[in-house]
Amino acid sequence: MANYLAQFQAIKNTSDRLVVAVEDVSDLWPSVKEGLEKRLPLKKASLNNKTRNPVYVENLQAEFILTTDSRLRSRFPQEQYLFWFREPYATIVLVSCEDLDEFKTILKPRLKLIVQNEEREWFIVFVSKAHPNNDQATKNAKKVYARLEVDFNTRKRERCCKLDLNGVDASFWEDFDFKIVESIRNTLDRRAQFYEEEIRKMSEQRLMPVWNFCNFFILKESLAFMFEMAHLHEDSLREYDELELCYIETVSTPGKQRDFGGLEHGDDQAALLKPGFKPLSQIVQDDSFREFEFRQYLFARQVKLLFRLGRPLEVVMRGYSFIISFSKTLALHENTLPFCLREVWVISACLAIISSTSSTYDGLAAPDNEKEFYRLHGDLYSLCRIKFMRLAYLIGYGVEIEKSPVNSASLSMLPWPKPSIWPAVPEDASAKVLAKEKLILQANPRMKHFNIQRKQLPLEPSSLLREANRRRASLSVGNLSELIDYRQIDGSGIDGHQKFSPSTTNSMSRTYSGPNLESSLSLDRPMRISEVHVAAEHALENTVTDPDLLKSLSSLEEFEQKYMELTKGAADNYHHSWWKRHGVALDGEIAALCFKHGNYDLAAKSYEKVCALYAGEGWQDLLAEVLPNLAECQKILNDQAGYLSSCVRLLSLEDGLFLAKERQAFQLEVVRLAHSEMKHPVPLDVSSLITFSGNPGPPLQLCDGDPGTLPVTVWSGFPDDITLESLSLTLTNTLNTDEGVKTIKSSDAHILKPGRNVIKLDVPPQKPGSYVLGVLTGQIGNLRFRSHNFSKGGPQDNDDFMSYEKPTRPVLKVLKPRTLVDISAAVSSALLMNELQWLGLIVKPIDYSLKGSLLSIDTGPGLMIDESHTIDINEYAKTMEDKVHAHDSNTITENNTHPLEPKQLYIENGKIALPDWASDTSTTLWFPVHAIDDRMARAASADSPHRQNMVDGMRTIALKLEFGAFRNQIFERTIAVHFTDPFYVTTRVANKCNDGTLLLQATIHSQVKATLCLYDAWLDLQAGFVHVRKENGRPVSSFFPLVISPSSTAGILFSICIDNMAIAADQNEVVQAESILNVMYGISGDRSNGAHSPTSLKLGSSDKLFFKVAIALQRPILDPCIAVGFVPFSSNCLRVGQLINMKWRVERLKDLEASPSSSCKDEVLYEVDANPEIWMIAGRTMGHALLSNARGSRTEITVTCMPLVSGHVRPPQLGLPAMDDANISCNPPGPHLVCVLPPTLSSSYCIPA
Amino acid sequence: MAGTACFIIVSKNDIPIYEAEVGSAAKKEEASQQHQFILHAALDIVEDLAWTTNAMFLKAVDKFNDLSVSVYVTAGHTRFMLLHDSRNEDGIKSFFQEVQELYIKILLNPLYLPSARIASSHFDTKVRALARKYL
Repeated sequence: MANYLAQFQAIKNTSDRLVVAVEDVSDLWPSVKEGLEKRLPLKKASLNNKTRNPVYVENLQAEFILTTDSRLRSRFPQEQYLFWFREPYATIVLVSCEDLDEFKTILKPRLKLIVQNEEREWFIVFVSKAHPNNDQATKNAKKVYARLEVDFNTRKRERCCKLDLNGVDASFWEDFDFKIVESIRNTLDRRAQFYEEEIRKMSEQRLMPVWNFCNFFILKESLAFMFEMAHLHEDSLREYDELELCYIETVSTPGKQRDFGGLEHGDDQAALLKPGFKPLSQIVQDDSFREFEFRQYLFARQVKLLFRLGRPLEVVMRGYSFIISFSKTLALHENTLPFCLREVWVISACLAIISSTSSTYDGLAAPDNEKEFYRLHGDLYSLCRIKFMRLAYLIGYGVEIEKSPVNSASLSMLPWPKPSIWPAVPEDASAKVLAKEKLILQANPRMKHFNIQRKQLPLEPSSLLREANRRRASLSVGNLSELIDYRQIDGSGIDGHQKFSPSTTNSMSRTYSGPNLESSLSLDRPMRISEVHVAAEHALENTVTDPDLLKSLSSLEEFEQKYMELTKGAADNYHHSWWKRHGVALDGEIAALCFKHGNYDLAAKSYEKVCALYAGEGWQDLLAEVLPNLAECQKILNDQAGYLSSCVRLLSLEDGLFLAKERQAFQLEVVRLAHSEMKHPVPLDVSSLITFSGNPGPPLQLCDGDPGTLPVTVWSGFPDDITLESLSLTLTNTLNTDEGVKTIKSSDAHILKPGRNVIKLDVPPQKPGSYVLGVLTGQIGNLRFRSHNFSKGGPQDNDDFMSYEKPTRPVLKVLKPRTLVDISAAVSSALLMNELQWLGLIVKPIDYSLKGSLLSIDTGPGLMIDESHTIDINEYAKTMEDKVHAHDSNTITENNTHPLEPKQLYIENGKIALPDWASDTSTTLWFPVHAIDDRMARAASADSPHRQNMVDGMRTIALKLEFGAFRNQIFERTIAVHFTDPFYVTTRVANKCNDGTLLLQATIHSQVKATLCLYDAWLDLQAGFVHVRKENGRPVSSFFPLVISPSSTAGILFSICIDNMAIAADQNEVVQAESILNVMYGISGDRSNGAHSPTSLKLGSSDKLFFKVAIALQRPILDPCIAVGFVPFSSNCLRVGQLINMKWRVERLKDLEASPSSSCKDEVLYEVDANPEIWMIAGRTMGHALLSNARGSRTEITVTCMPLVSGHVRPPQLGLPAMDDANISCNPPGPHLVCVLPPTLSSSYCIPA
Repeated sequence: MAGTACFIIVSKNDIPIYEAEVGSAAKKEEASQQHQFILHAALDIVEDLAWTTNAMFLKAVDKFNDLSVSVYVTAGHTRFMLLHDSRNEDGIKSFFQEVQELYIKILLNPLYLPSARIASSHFDTKVRALARKYL
């Protein structure tokens, strides 16, 4: 049956559509042919698929062939049976008859004969030629057709239809189509069933010796082909899939040794898309086919169907897995195949699949599918690229391939080709060997930037040199040492790509140039690497038939062009498929090639992509590989900003990735650039390199307005010390975001050691709040850098390990404003006026150091500081303590043994510097002051005691304390200090004796909190008074010294009498208007209590003080001229707002002649004195009242007034300014106080409802 | 024990937080970098696959010549990736599960910040022991 293969192939090539046979009984074909063929292809056909489910097929191709045609006639029955798929699927019987008899006698038997073949699907088309106007003919035709229907239609199936040549009915064509499709469907079903049955039968014999795959294949493919013709591609594909499975099972059965194939010319080019690449009959092998060709054939058939089905994605999917699996199969047979056929085949297969699918892909697929499509394209490109690199490596372009992780991983894990015998160096190849050697020598292994010395990644699974020599048939395998020695001489090293040293180069070229080359290539001698390359190239030239591939391998430039094309293809497709990691890795390869060709701009762009990915994902090992390349590009491009940031990134990589020397080189570059003249100085982000954090522990606390010093820990990732010209940090207030950020600067140069540094920064006064660190900025040379990062790093085992994920911790707290210090007067009781007194001030720091503070003192009017004295300072608490201890004694010992000795201070320019020991404790400052009051103290009458006005004794002292670290804090306060006379004196006439002697009692009230001691007192009397017995003015009895306790009183009696002669006698002298009481006294008080003796200030001076009090003595009214009397109020009670008349009666008691002072004879001047806040006077307050000079004349003065406030108030007083007080007698005296009631309630505002 | 095995834990933001060469094969200097590269590229596939299944163990997601990449994705999207040449899928699964328990213990450590490098030598020792046991 295998003999039929060629025939089968021919049939397949010729028949590509279904055949419909036309049995032209009545020679009608020429007239109906056109109409019938217009119906093709069949617009819509409902067919059954293999599982008997209806499938709608559009545009089903078919062909009408007359049964008389030679194609249908000359076939042997067996052939027909075997290739049944090409037999007609329907038979149309064309009939025309106008005579019923003729039909019965001739036509019907003939038709019966035609349709008796059961296997045919047939139907009859009755063609009526009758003209519609020709009624007779029409009628006959109808009759005949009716008869025809009766004879051939069955109940199940109508097999007749009628075509009117003149005026075709539209329904006919529908009927016709239906009938054709029905026939085709039935035929298809029957044939499919037949084939399946046959296949099943054959499958059962699979394990028997008679099994012949070719037969099975013919059957199976016939079925598949039939489905394909019927446009049931899905079913057809399934048949091929089954066929493939069955084939693989067949070939993998052990036992039979079969030829694999692949040895013919052109086999290196994959025939994945060319089913007709080789006729099947050529590849037949015993009872089966050669695997190499046949599997490609099957795949090609599948691909064809898939394209018909519009599934390019599936083509790629199947294609990729087919290539992978077939590549493995090729590997199994590698020793029989030409050298590197596997690699070449894979390359061509990948490219074929890529080109065929990308041209048919419309890009309208679902996103997922699209991703998958591009991903597979990427995979194909990448696979192709790897194989291409392998070939290039074999022929010596390896030195030019970038030794990147992606290339290294791809190539070094890919085993070498395993030909049975490694190709040998061809004859007369010495020129080529030399050329290769030159290529290797000239290859300039790229020195990594910064002198990074790192072992280059390998591109070969094992040394090519060893592999090639090992596989040479003539060489013994065990001679390893010889090989290694040789390699060392050769200079190619283990990797085969190390640079030759110049000396070996010379010797090599000497040895292998010249005529003796031939002899040196004896079989026993191991090949050199250049020879291996030449041999491989030669072998490849024999293997490769694709001119494009040959061209790509012919020169380095061509190789790089192809390599770039493949790499770009892979990268682009991976990017389209969102496989960024795959894509970006390949971008790195593109960059490397661009770099090599001096296309630095593109290279930098690509490298940046790669670096961004690796850096973003933290794969530092991989980043360390690419980043130096990027840096180099940037350096060449003079992209200083980029170059700097690359250097910084290099420095911030993990420690282990670079040697210390390399890291130092990075730093040198940064420093060099920083100190060079940069055209456009760029800010540099060193967040990854220099990190910072506040010091551990609680944040620094500052009072409002205080500057401070903030210690900050800065981690330097530089390998060496680095000098920073300046450094500043921003602080952000966490409580108040409106304020923005504050920058604190340190303009000093800092040297950062590698690792941890503590830097102290001065903080100017800040607003209250809590501050966190913001950004660190600084300068290295001319370079401004900034770092946003809080410390992450430092040694891992360090306790200070911080992370950027930790919430930021406040480093500085500025407290809200509060009082930091308080200054108050130490003593609240009064001090002595006009004497030198110690004024105590308590300076109390409130949790704040007063170190270095300055106190300025500015005294108010009437007060001065005695600068000739030192100022005492002692501890306040101690004073208090002392007080507690010595609370029963008045003396306080201030010179207790205490480490903090009270000190003497001096005042300089009105300022006192507080001692350091006093910075944290409350202290009392004592300084001598002198309050001055020029007015003489006056004694008061005992009847109307008149206290000294407090305000008179008040003195102010303005204090200004400058404190804080920079005397930035200022405390100002004005303190009132009360000064007073030691005592005040009241006097009264204790008794009037009959002899005119008056006993004047002077009561002395102590006004100070100190014991007063009167040593002496005497009275200088005013004119009109004299001492009794002309004494010296001393008191009656002498009992001095007289001690007066604090706040107590004492009395002294003087006896005086009125001197009647005095006025006349002393007319020429200055009349002493007041008497003066002179007191000599002492005071024993404590300055911490109040008034005290000023003697302690002036040592050696007398401790007796002198005090004068003026006493106004009033002579009795001896000659009253006028009497004034207050007339009682008319009403009982006064009310606020009520008008009242106040009346005074004035009566002259004497004739006026005696009184010289009055100028007017018959009238008297009066004045009403009233407090305007209490009284409203209606009318005049001053005026003349008529009063005759005659004795006894009287008058009445009335003033209308109104009280304004309620209560006991002093009423208006009537005064007579023209009269001497001594001449006025008040009788009866006016009231001191009157009662004023509140106003009566007014109801006028209360309006009843 | 597997000849080549490189184990990497990748945090949810794609940063490798733990790496170990746990294979018995003689260590090549360049191997670690190649392995890293392969595993890094395999993240592309894991990204696609992880969301298509409920299983944590994604089995071998990628093949690189003779080496396979097996991946285990934890609920927190931390990925355990193993590059290996052995075919012992059950062993790998058990290895991953036990490593996850160790990893959870690391996570429970209050001093360990998630997504930071795992520097615990104890963890390292345990992982290597597990590798000897299962791979």
